[in-house]
Amino acid sequence: MSADNHFLEFLPAYALGSLDPAEHIAVSEHVQNCPVCAAELISYQTVAAELALAAPDAVPSAELKHRLLARVQKQPSLLSPAPSRPPWWQRWPQFSQRAVMAWGIASFLLILVLIASNLLLWQRLTRLETTARSGGMRAIPLTGLTPGAAGFVLIGADGQNGAFVVDALPTLEPDRQYQLWLLQNGYRTSGAVFSVDEYGYGGGRIRAPKNLFEYSGCDISVEPAGGSSQPTGEKVLAGTLN
Amino acid sequence: MKSHVDYSKLDDVELIALVACAEPDALAELYERYHRLVFGLALNAVADHAAAEEITLDVFTRVWEKSETYRAEQAKVTTWLLSLARHRTIDVLRHRHTRLERNLVRWGDVPDDAGFSRNGPEEVVELALRREQVRTAVAQLPAEQKEALALAYFKGYTHRQIAEILQEPLGTIKTRLRSAMQKLRQMLPDE
Repeated sequence: MSADNHFLEFLPAYALGSLDPAEHIAVSEHVQNCPVCAAELISYQTVAAELALAAPDAVPSAELKHRLLARVQKQPSLLSPAPSRPPWWQRWPQFSQRAVMAWGIASFLLILVLIASNLLLWQRLTRLETTARSGGMRAIPLTGLTPGAAGFVLIGADGQNGAFVVDALPTLEPDRQYQLWLLQNGYRTSGAVFSVDEYGYGGGRIRAPKNLFEYSGCDISVEPAGGSSQPTGEKVLAGTLN
Repeated sequence: MKSHVDYSKLDDVELIALVACAEPDALAELYERYHRLVFGLALNAVADHAAAEEITLDVFTRVWEKSETYRAEQAKVTTWLLSLARHRTIDVLRHRHTRLERNLVRWGDVPDDAGFSRNGPEEVVELALRREQVRTAVAQLPAEQKEALALAYFKGYTHRQIAEILQEPLGTIKTRLRSAMQKLRQMLPDE
């Protein structure tokens, strides 16, 4: 790291994916909180993205197109067959104790939130006053396109603290992780980078530069290990925060 | 009833939207536009025609399966597509667990637009022009920077691995990669 506490010298290699894993993680964490480096990184990522245009041109066999169309029309299943996962009614007895406990806690918290919300609503109706934000912890469900996958974001009463839990997300290759993004006015800020266990279960604390109530939504995408400065991969879960 | 849509006149985002609606003809058009780019990227990295074809097949299949996740506000279709291609290529290379290799990685010549159409939607023409700009810029890099950059980009090697392959100090490789990217950033203005 340079004397002015920026990682500018590392950014070109980071954009190429050429840093050692430890360096990559250090730069990822720094960029999340450094607008100077984040802006520089975007320019290098733009360059890196265009390098593919400089690859030598080459032509595959003519029958490749036919193979592609035959594949998509006859086999709409997954690209690389994922490790066979038994249907949910077979997996249920195998649910880890942690997963059951986590869902139990999340459900309990949700019940508390619902009770608190109902009390607040009653108070509003009787007092005829509005409040910006008040009440207990909020639990926001996360939903998405991955079959069976789900999650929750939990935000503390004052919005200063938050956590998340996910379940049944696909396990990723070692060079990939999931990243949670917080949305505000069309911009995304990283809130967490995480992996899931063999059951697709994971979670952690949300680290945000602002109060969590200032964000309108959140989503989770697949990114290179250590995270990205902006989403680059497939979005798997999303939720509306406000 | 078969659609009479002229897919060649649609822009990339429109094609992706149709792919998301399971229109194979839209995927076929996307393939026609960009299969050479994807295949060229893969072949340059894996140096095996059959393997490069499999990667190309995998990439366009993934487009078919994940088109609904594409977000136009995050990246151009070509950027997304080539990112898929690079990631898939590097995944294949890493699963091979082969020893580090230096050979057979190169940059495209300037100019080289054999078979690359100057007709068609505006973005396809713009891509052809941008391709020439990028190749011209890369050609102006010193040979040692080009070599290090090719190993980093196409093979997905870390700077430590590149130092080992080229038998150069790690600091030298870091400097070469950094200098190459800085020069390219100067030579390639934002679109």
